[in-house]
This record gives sequence, structure tokens and C-alpha cells, in this order.
Amino acid sequence: MAAVLMLGNEALARGAWDAGVRVAAAYPGTPSTEIVTSLAAYDGVYAEWSTNEKVAYEVAFGAAMGGVRALTAMKSAGASVAADPLITSVYTGVNAGLVVCLAGDPGMASGMTEQDDRYFGRMSSMPMLEPADSQECYEYVGLAYELSESYDVPVMVRMSIQTAHQKSVVTIEGDGARPEAPERRDPHRKTEKYCMLPRFSRPMHRSLLERFERLRAYAEASPLARLEAAPGDGRSPLRDGGSARIGVVAAGAAYVSAKEALPGAAFLKLGMVHPLPIEAVRRFAAGVDRLFVVEELEPYLEEQILAAGIACEGKSWFPQWGELTPVRVGAGFYAAGLDLPRWAEDKPAEDPGVIPRPPVLCTGCPHRGMATAMKKLDFDVHGDIGCYDLTSLPPVSHMHSAFEMGASIPMDHGFWRAGGSAKGSVAVIGDSTFLHSGLTGLLNAVHQRADISVLIQDNSITAMTGGQTNPGNETTLAGAETRPVDLVAICRALGVEHIETVDPYDYEACLAALKAARAFDGPAVIVTNRPCMLFPRKVPGDGHFEVDEELCNACQQCMKLGCPSLSHAESTHRGRSKVAIAAETCTGCSLCAQLCKAGAITKAGVA
Amino acid sequence: MSGRRMRAVDGRADDRASGRPAGGRYTDGLIDNVMVVGVGGQGVIVAAAVIADTALLHGGLDVKLSETRGMSQRGGSVCSHIRIGERVLAPSISPGEVDYLLAFEAAEGLRFAVSVRRDGVAIVNTQQIVPPLASQGEFTYPFDAIERMDDGSRRVLAVDGNAIAADVGDVKVAGVVLVGALSAYLDFASETWERAIERNVPARWLEMNLAALRAGRETVAAREAAAATGRDGA
Repeated sequence: MAAVLMLGNEALARGAWDAGVRVAAAYPGTPSTEIVTSLAAYDGVYAEWSTNEKVAYEVAFGAAMGGVRALTAMKSAGASVAADPLITSVYTGVNAGLVVCLAGDPGMASGMTEQDDRYFGRMSSMPMLEPADSQECYEYVGLAYELSESYDVPVMVRMSIQTAHQKSVVTIEGDGARPEAPERRDPHRKTEKYCMLPRFSRPMHRSLLERFERLRAYAEASPLARLEAAPGDGRSPLRDGGSARIGVVAAGAAYVSAKEALPGAAFLKLGMVHPLPIEAVRRFAAGVDRLFVVEELEPYLEEQILAAGIACEGKSWFPQWGELTPVRVGAGFYAAGLDLPRWAEDKPAEDPGVIPRPPVLCTGCPHRGMATAMKKLDFDVHGDIGCYDLTSLPPVSHMHSAFEMGASIPMDHGFWRAGGSAKGSVAVIGDSTFLHSGLTGLLNAVHQRADISVLIQDNSITAMTGGQTNPGNETTLAGAETRPVDLVAICRALGVEHIETVDPYDYEACLAALKAARAFDGPAVIVTNRPCMLFPRKVPGDGHFEVDEELCNACQQCMKLGCPSLSHAESTHRGRSKVAIAAETCTGCSLCAQLCKAGAITKAGVA
Repeated sequence: MSGRRMRAVDGRADDRASGRPAGGRYTDGLIDNVMVVGVGGQGVIVAAAVIADTALLHGGLDVKLSETRGMSQRGGSVCSHIRIGERVLAPSISPGEVDYLLAFEAAEGLRFAVSVRRDGVAIVNTQQIVPPLASQGEFTYPFDAIERMDDGSRRVLAVDGNAIAADVGDVKVAGVVLVGALSAYLDFASETWERAIERNVPARWLEMNLAALRAGRETVAAREAAAATGRDGA
């Protein structure tokens, strides 16, 4: 079949499909989301957005245990959520193959931390493959399924964001039709394999260690560790005028950057990073004068190589934070004494006229009304993970914490136990995040009689990752009709006595609801009820608003909304700018009109 | 090397005349680094897909594309990198190595101008989108962005993509006008560009997009011709 351009994530999905995956489950999370989005479009695969990564892992594991090839995918933080079944599943082993796709985010394009996910492999003894481009994503998944079934372990395919989110050329094998999926494996009951009681799990651990030793032998012999000889005479020029035989050990995105930075070196390109083929590294090291280990984030490979008594250089030259782009690797090699004019030049500075352009809440975003009201009341806001976190940035700049999935409610509870805020505080969480891991925090707050206020900003979609469905929706990822969960009923069932549903386009109602929740003695919940403007489809505007410049007194109260459709007009009043509304983008949410004390803002075409 | 790039438009004509397959410029390890930038919602992602797809459809080339990560859909700055060559390693372009910058918005052009190599080409849409923070007085939008870019370190081509797009039917195809402008510099056949457009835009908008592509290409070809005449005259 012809070559196609695919995201690493898309290629991984295609490889899994070719390998006969039948069940895929994930919670959306940048940069891993497209794996399961893509799989959902293929025939013969059941794909779901699960409520969280732990649930997704367990669904996928259950399917593998039930005899069909399965897949789960997650971002770094998701791996932490799924860590319990992740570690346990390596003990038990699988039945049919299970592939765990883990996309890391060095540089934190959207992640909360840049944790080095490779330690999950090491901690759990799960073998770990690391593709470097889309073609390898495609190829490694098939191999991962074979290894998973041969060695009876789940196999991790680990990527950096650079690999997951690049589009590069993939040559699809065969004629494009799906190869016949493997038959379902015998799912008969195996108490001693899947019941994690000490009596069964103790021998399992010994069995795991034995399986892992066999994997070590596989890694040493596997062509996944690829030797690439240095071109020419094999020597790289040094800045002191000499030359040296340079060897580089690297995998994945770091390999690509190192190869771009120093094409004159010899490379040991690792495809399997756990277990590490240490004897292959030793042989490689013997043939070079200096051995460099280039890896993103922690000195994960470096420490193992040093521990094996092999001299190498790594984190002393290459940063332990952020993405390792070619220029950053090149700068490291330059500092280490290599003569690399491409990376030695100082780059020109940015023009001083450059302005910041951060993302902002969309025009008509249903989060804006409550954000403005919370700022007005000067409540401390304990946010969660969602678009509302943009209110921690200008122009709203009003948020105290935004931590990780589900943290808002328990953290606000703890804060209240510490004495709380003088003016009040509120835990803010979106619908998808609430269903992901907010429920248990709220249940705890109810059980402990915490006097807290919780705001569920229900926009009826998982917005920040691009509009994925969640249990609040009427359809599933697979397109089936389903019963949307009732957030108010859930909160009532958890024991919340004060629950109010509010239209977030009604500013006075937002203020009143926040005050009432604060006044209530005990846990109180507010649920907003307007959908996301972008997803699942762009909401058409309800007629735009306009400013009567005669009436506008330039008080700029409306500007506090941080709405991208509002700007300073050219005309002024007492030296201050009046306000203009962009008719082509205004969606008619009317919040600005509600804030306007001069009555200068009205709906266009309404007398 | 830079001289050869400068002759891109003329060079393409030479290739045709000599019967050499277009794309021969990549045989000596040369890589074209194209960066497409703009504001979320302007169509940067589609434009980048068209460019990368054209190189793929041309055949025999390696292509890599990487995009801004993060919440670019919400009015933020957006940037796509496309690298084309016989073999491409890194999917992102290193600082100062952009050969062709395609800016959909003037201030975004200024932001990424620093990425363009000396004598590289920057094609900039004259459209200006003032971000909310600037329109609310937090800082000043650089209304002179294009003049600032044109400081002699690179070639700057200002194109009123929105006006040209409006002429062919809808301002929404302004991005494709700019892709058309770029197409005058890369060694791919017009038909290949058109096939890539076909694969990346909805069928009902196809004709308008093709018209936008041609209009953008002609704008640049006419200007290059005028510039060449000017140089010859001097």
C-alpha cells in the first residue's frame, strides 16, 4: 500500500489494528488522545472513552484476560492514575496480548509535570519499547503484541510527545485490508493466575522475575538494538583540533535529535529500553573513544550503564528538563568539546515588538460567568484540570490552585480544615473531571461533614483535549446511544443537601448561587448548565451585541470578562477608551451587557 | 546555498526546460524547512497538511510535520513545522533554519521571523489580529510588524491574502492563497498541489480553494517576474 502521512499516535493505532486489536480503552489526555480516537474509526475494534485511566486499564486488561488483543493509552499523569492495575498486571501476565501506550510530555506542552515514564517500566518489570517515528510506532505495536503473548506480560509502547505528535511517512503493509485477527484465546477460569492473594501473588512475583530474565536475553539478541556505524573514517572533529570516535546510545525522540545534532557519530539506537540490552551497550562502548547517552529527562539509561561499569557521559552535558531538541543536544555536544559549527552560532534575538498571545476562554465560553463572579466575590478558587484553568492567567488571573485530576474538592476540603479563606473558597471542577475522579472527593467531603462549596462547570463534554464524550453525553465514542448521567442526582445520592443548577450566562444568578453555597452549613454544590462553545460542534451565536458609543462611559467593567470579542474602541471618554464588540465573533452570551451599568450594550437589531 | 534558494521560482522553470524531474534539488541532502504560523482558527493546520501532502504525493521524498502543542484552538499562537527532503530526521525545524515562513497574521510573522535563516523567505499575510490582552490595554500590538520583519535579514513578501481570498469567493480561503504563494517557491507541479488540496478540503469548497491556490501562486510569480525585470534593468 502507498505511503501515508500519519501522526505517531495514528500509526500506533493502525499497527494495533493490523495486529488484530479488538478492544481499546482510554481516557483522553494530550499527547496520547489520538490513539483511541483513531482506533474508534476502524471496523472490528471496540473503542471507548473510559471514565478514567485506571478504569480504562482494567477494561483493556479484562479484554486481554478474556482472550482478545487489547490496548490502553494514556498520558504521563494517566499512568499514575492507572499505576495500581499497571503494576499488578505484570505479575499476573495476560492471556491475549495487552499493549499499554504511554505518551510522555517533556517540555510540558500540556502536562502538569514532566515525569519520566520509563520508571513505570522499571518499577513494574513491564517491557518497554520506544519508537522514534511514525513508521516505528506502526511496526513496534505488532511486535509488542507478539512479545506480550510470548512472555505473558503486558508490553508498554512509550513515546515522547515529539514521536506521538509528529506526522511522518508510514508504509502500511499488505493491501490495506485488515489481516485476519487472531482467534480468541481460551478464557477459562484461572484462579491462581488472576487472584492477587498472597498465596498466589508470591509465586507470581518469582514467575515475573523469571519471565523478565528471558526478556533480558531477548533484548540482548534483538535487532531492536540497532548499530549504526559512523560515516567516513568514523571520527568526529573536536574543538581542540583533534578528533575522536564518538558513540551515542539513545532511543526514541532523543535518538532523532542526537542523530540530527551529530550525524558523524556511531549510534546504538535502542528500540527496547526495558530491559536494557546492557551487553550490547558494552560491546558498542568498546569500539568508541567517548560514549554519550542522550535521553530526555532523568538519567535513566545513564545510571544503568554506569552501574554496569561502562563509562559514559550524559546529564553533565544534556539538560534534565524539557524536550531534547536537536539544538539542545547540539549545544551539549558542543560544550563537551565537539566541533559543531551548526550549533555553536548565537541565534539572533527576538524582535522587541513580539507580543504574547496565550490561549483564552472562547467568546461565549460557559465558564466565564462563574469565573467573573468568583473574582468579584474574591473567593479563593481551587481549580482542577480543565479549560477553566485559563482563568489563572490574564486577563482573569484569579485562581489559587489547579493541581491534578480530582484534586479540587479534597484540596478545598483540606484548606477549609486549615481554617479556610476569609472571604470564602470554592472547588471548581468540570463534568468530565468530576466523573473521572471528583466523585470520591465529594463523597469524602459529605461523609466528613466538610463545609465546602463545589462548582461543577458542566459544559457537557471533555473540552480541553478536543471534545471527547464522557458519561454526561447521550452517545458513546463507539456511536451508541446511551443514558447521560444526571450530575444533580449523583450529588444528591452522595448526600449533598444543597444543590443548585445555574445558568452561567446569568451573572446575578452566578453571584447569588456562590453566596448561597457559602452560606449553607455543609457541603454545597452548584452545577452550571451551558454547553461548550467548541465541542462537540461549534455553537452558533444567538445574535451579536453592540455598544452604543454615546452611552458608553468607558468604565470598562465589561473588560473584566476577558472576552476575546471585546476590545478598546478608538473613541474615548475622559481619556479612557470606550469599548467595541466584534460583531463577527460575538455569540450573544450577554454577560457584557449585564455588567454594563450605563446600559450601553444591547443586542443588535433589538430596539 | 542561499543563492540557489533565492532563484527558486526561476529554478523551477529551468528544471522543466531541462527535463529534470522536479524535486531534483533534494538529491544532495538539501532539506526544505517550511514553517506555517498564525492564530488558532485561521487554518494553519490545514495549510500545513496540504504542504506536507504535496511533498508526499510528489513521491520519493521523506516528509515530517509537527505542530504547536497545547491549547492553540483557543485563540493562541499556532505554529506548524514541515520538513521535506530525501531523509528527514527531526520533525521540528531548528532555530534560525526556516527556509520559508508562511505567516497568516502579521504579529505572528514577527514572532517567528527570528526562526528564518539569513536570506530565507517570509510570506506574510497583512491581516492583523489584535489579541484580547492587547485590545484591553495590557500591551501594544505591533502594527508595524511587517516593516519590522523587513530589516534586510530575510526576504519579506507581504500578501493581502484576505483581499485575494475575498476576490475568489470567501475570506476563509486566505490560508490557501498563502499556500499558493509558497507553491511558487517549491519544486512541485501545480497538479500535485491541486491534488493535495483535493485531499484536505471538503468537496463543496474545492473549486474556491483551487482558485485561491492559483491566485496566490500568480501573485508571487508576477512579483518575482517584476523583481527579476527590475534586477535585469539595473
